[in-house]
Amino acid sequence: MKKKISLTLNGSRIEVTADSQQSLLDLLRGPLHMTGTKEGCGEGECGACTVLVDGLAVNSCLYPACEAQGKDILTIEGMADINNQLSLIQQAFVDSGAIQCGFCTPGMVLSAKALLDSHPDPSDTDIREALSGNLCRCTGYVQIVEAVKKAANRLRERS
Amino acid sequence: MIAYDYHQPGSLEEAFLLNKDHPGSLYISGGTDLMVRIHKKELQPHDLISLRSIPGLSGTDNGKSVRIGAMTTVSELTKNSLLQERYPALIQAANNLGSVQIRNVATIGGNLCNGSPAADLALPLLVLAAKVRVQNSQTIRELPLDKFFRGPGETDLSPGEILTDILLEAPEKNTKSIFLKRGRTKMDLALASAAVLITTDGSRCSEARVAVGSVAPTPVRLSIVEEILIGAALSRGLMDEAQKRTAETVSPISDVRSTADYRRHLAGVLVRRALELLTHDQFGDRYRI
Amino acid sequence: MKDFFYIGKDTLRPDGPDKAAGKAHYIHDLQRPGMLYGKIKFSEHAHARIKHIDTSKAERIPGVRTIITAKNTPEIRFGFLRDNLALKLDKVRQYRDEVAAVAAIDPEIAEEAVDTIRIEYEPLPGVFSPEQAMKEGAPLVHETDPRGKPRNHNILPLKYHHESGNLETGKREAKHVAEGTFSTPLVQQCCMGTAGCIAEFDMNSNLTLWSKTQIPFLAQRDFNQALSAMGLKGKNTRIIVPALGGGFGSGLDTHAYEYIAILLAFQTGHPVKIVYNRREEFTNLSPRQSTQTRIVQGCDPNGRLSFRQIDVLQDNGAYTSWGATYPSVMMMPATSLYRVPHITFDAKLVYTNNTYCQAMRGYGNPELTWALESNMDELAEKAGIDPFEFRMLNRIEAGETTPMGLKISTCGLERCLETVAGKLDWKGGTKKGKNRGIGMASLIHVGGGGRIYRSDASGIILKLDDFGNVNVFYGGVEMGQGLHAVLIQSVAEALGVRPDTVFINPTDTGTCPWDVGTHASRGAFMAGNAAILAARKLRNNIFELAEELFPAEAKKNLKKHMAKYPDYTPPDFDIAKAAKRDRFDLKEGYIFITGSPDAPWLRMDLGKLLRAAHFRPQGQMLTAEAFYDPPNELPDFEKGFGNISSTYAFGTQGVEVEVDTETGEIKIIRMVAAHDVGKVLNPLGLKGQIYGALAQGVGYALYEELKSDKGKIQNPDFRDYKIPRTQEMNFPIDLTFIETNDSFGPFGAKGVAEPGLVPTAPAIANAIYNAVGVRIRDLPITPEKILAAVKEQKNLKKP
Repeated sequence: MKKKISLTLNGSRIEVTADSQQSLLDLLRGPLHMTGTKEGCGEGECGACTVLVDGLAVNSCLYPACEAQGKDILTIEGMADINNQLSLIQQAFVDSGAIQCGFCTPGMVLSAKALLDSHPDPSDTDIREALSGNLCRCTGYVQIVEAVKKAANRLRERS
Repeated sequence: MIAYDYHQPGSLEEAFLLNKDHPGSLYISGGTDLMVRIHKKELQPHDLISLRSIPGLSGTDNGKSVRIGAMTTVSELTKNSLLQERYPALIQAANNLGSVQIRNVATIGGNLCNGSPAADLALPLLVLAAKVRVQNSQTIRELPLDKFFRGPGETDLSPGEILTDILLEAPEKNTKSIFLKRGRTKMDLALASAAVLITTDGSRCSEARVAVGSVAPTPVRLSIVEEILIGAALSRGLMDEAQKRTAETVSPISDVRSTADYRRHLAGVLVRRALELLTHDQFGDRYRI
Repeated sequence: MKDFFYIGKDTLRPDGPDKAAGKAHYIHDLQRPGMLYGKIKFSEHAHARIKHIDTSKAERIPGVRTIITAKNTPEIRFGFLRDNLALKLDKVRQYRDEVAAVAAIDPEIAEEAVDTIRIEYEPLPGVFSPEQAMKEGAPLVHETDPRGKPRNHNILPLKYHHESGNLETGKREAKHVAEGTFSTPLVQQCCMGTAGCIAEFDMNSNLTLWSKTQIPFLAQRDFNQALSAMGLKGKNTRIIVPALGGGFGSGLDTHAYEYIAILLAFQTGHPVKIVYNRREEFTNLSPRQSTQTRIVQGCDPNGRLSFRQIDVLQDNGAYTSWGATYPSVMMMPATSLYRVPHITFDAKLVYTNNTYCQAMRGYGNPELTWALESNMDELAEKAGIDPFEFRMLNRIEAGETTPMGLKISTCGLERCLETVAGKLDWKGGTKKGKNRGIGMASLIHVGGGGRIYRSDASGIILKLDDFGNVNVFYGGVEMGQGLHAVLIQSVAEALGVRPDTVFINPTDTGTCPWDVGTHASRGAFMAGNAAILAARKLRNNIFELAEELFPAEAKKNLKKHMAKYPDYTPPDFDIAKAAKRDRFDLKEGYIFITGSPDAPWLRMDLGKLLRAAHFRPQGQMLTAEAFYDPPNELPDFEKGFGNISSTYAFGTQGVEVEVDTETGEIKIIRMVAAHDVGKVLNPLGLKGQIYGALAQGVGYALYEELKSDKGKIQNPDFRDYKIPRTQEMNFPIDLTFIETNDSFGPFGAKGVAEPGLVPTAPAIANAIYNAVGVRIRDLPITPEKILAAVKEQKNLKKP
């Protein structure tokens, strides 16, 4: 069964046709040609597919595409500015050495954004808890936690 | 993967009708268990009936009694200050369920209907003596949660029925509850879990409820442990006895995650530690949750 | 000490911004016009004869373009013992054997088609452990060898043996002896980006393969051989390496799925992509080799090691890949971690119907060091000597040649040991509190390449453009470890240009010079040394041109300058006399004469010089290449001798743990690591490598095990194969980098990618023993094992 759905994607209203058994991840990577969101496991364990739906971090691999109807979705492609500038959070990841193979990075960045949007001054414990659904095999998480702390500081400085 | 149709009814009546018209269809709430099982081809439904668009199924009604809509997400539970205050064990379980991404989508109803012996939210709800409200196109019925679980993955739901609400009474004065869980890593299915509620009257327990998870075909209340606690003063000896009885009573299995022996032992330890932590004024704050 | 411009300074990786933006393209993201999707049908038995394959249903599914089996494709043999086939013909020897494959217009149709393929098997009895496989009358995994000669047992024809001194003498001289059998399990690389490739033929029948590989050139050789087998002798393979979602050794061999993609692409005339999903990755990708090591060590009354006897037994699985060469690396710690005069080392490998294994970070060293460093603590206890003192007493030092012939040019082991002991506040066996303990372990690893093949070389090309930019062509692979950042630093430093003018080209066998592969922690070492050689040539060429063109340019500049500043008095400097090629220097992209006055018109932008050389009659442009083959040796592994690397990395790690004796859970309180890295090239990247390795070490020690039951993987997902998350790494980690400035290393640096996880597991085990007196010898150290050991200890204590 095909369904026409309309949603807001990275700030723009779009309409797309979804298959009923597609996940939001399938929709993003397939007909929407947005390959920044990654499939790491397809079963909600690794978080590489994390996107924000109405501001909340979700595993898009488990999120039925049809449920995206009317929702406000943010993916990694929506994080950078229109002038091709990385967002503060992304730049903090780059500056902290928090990126190695980079496969987990989009998911980590979105999880970090969800955290910082609601907790502008998170503790290390808060950060680790917020990112506990995102697996990384390369970094050992230390510099990722440092990046989120750095991003929090820079965001507070800016405002 | 067999292609399935995804229906989004706007009312319970519509959902019941769709279910009737599509034999073998499955209701889906958050989908964090169901979508995984479909991905693994353990389930191959032709139709999924989503409950997400049905109004009135999520949120809480606060009063002396509390009604929690079955579609309330686990995240929403953790942000509810009344629940935090009255039912700490439920919030502890909710905070330790999966990851942020899972909690934002998984629902309290889904966690129960999955019927897993490891269902994190089942344990605190059992010791809180929760009831569940179940509906189909003809009837609405209520039953105590401890009658809801029938076997591993099996609940009391008849075909077509939807669990719509979880009902909790206000706790008695001097009531405390706690939830403990252990996995192979911090984020894991429980190898064993325990929820304990005690109501004290002076130095004695006027009420004690103990539930354990992952160590029996369903989440279970352990009346054989409760009976030695009720009316008694919680001493070290009594807590050790509670541990012993727990280990002797439960019936865990060995599987890829752990051994029956370890789970049996762990369940006993968690029950004893839960009791110690609930009375930590006496025994000191020795263990992390 | 020399002051570097870029070496030793935090350098941001060039691909960081793209990766942060989700714009790096991994194999999963790549599309080719007309591309089809391949899917493989894997065996349903560990050991069975293939009686019949029925693809009729699959053929009728619309969108299916072709279905292949061993029957309708040419035989392709691969693996370094040539005992593996791309598609299995007469029997399956493991659960993950590839029996058929489909190419279809989309992945769902391909999957549906694979599901409808029906295969009739005749199950055969299987063998699932080396012991089982070695029993008299055990079923044969391979009835014949790759040449067709009949076999009559399951033991592999690979010999690993080292003997130095005289074991009997060593045993006689030993006052204290400790013996133990240690095991390590199957462990999965768990790259976040799964394996995959795209195969595409052009109309000349030349092949391009985009692949998740760490060995583009050895893969090219393997696939050219496959092309020959397909009747395409003389045709060429071009390997292009996209962004990799991790490697950790999983890309060091060629795999059946790659050959299958090639066969599907050839048959259909379309590009074919095969990508593993996570379940397929856990079930069908070769994991880290499991091992069993029996070790006996003895020391004299003063604590000096007198002998070491090691026997390794490996379950080789059904086919042979790099897991079978772990003993070649094991020989290094076996013979050279600490000073031992009398050593024997032997390894036996046995075919079974379990999964076969490939390389994973450390490549045998974590496995052997697990046994060795655990046993060192056991021996220290027998001898009544503190474990730290025991290691200090027996440490090796710079200038030594070890019994295997390893020439130790620099050695920071003493400083590493002392650093860790200091930071752990080590006071001879003193426990830190109830159920708390500390432990340490050290490592030796190759730090200057690792010659396990005829060539250990890396080539590089530096091409200058008209703007002074350097285009680098290097055949090593960036898999996340940070190779490109240090390569940019090395080129910038060695040449004298700014890092933002250095651009690394994609790894492509069509454009880059040969490189044996990115393994053995060799990337930065090779790339840096090759860059230095090529840069030296390029500088000579630049200064030759400068000699010719600089004076006229300087005169022009001076004229312009004086026109602008009429009162300017130029310093007394004879440019024509000074402008000799050996007096020029290039720094931060500017050419100048050494010792010349500091004036802007006496500096020339490199790009300007290059344009002047280019845009004139008989103009020229500059490109330089170098082929660096390090001064190491290919050891004789049957004799156990040869200086396998040009320099060696050392390190020590220490851990403080708390044991919950009621639940058996281990809590890591803190970790301390001191690593001899030769020279810190990129502090930001180096830290990331060590932190990441430590996390893998913690996983190896406490959580990770691929469980196999009669050959079938029982936990093929992240739910039941646990790798550390943020909370499992939630403890302070103190890193110290010891710089021994090795003359063989680029700017003094040694390889660092693997050492970070070599000693972690034994350090944890030693800390647990210090805490509660139980010794676990089988990884992973699970709460179940701790609890059982604690219970047994209690029972033994009962009167």
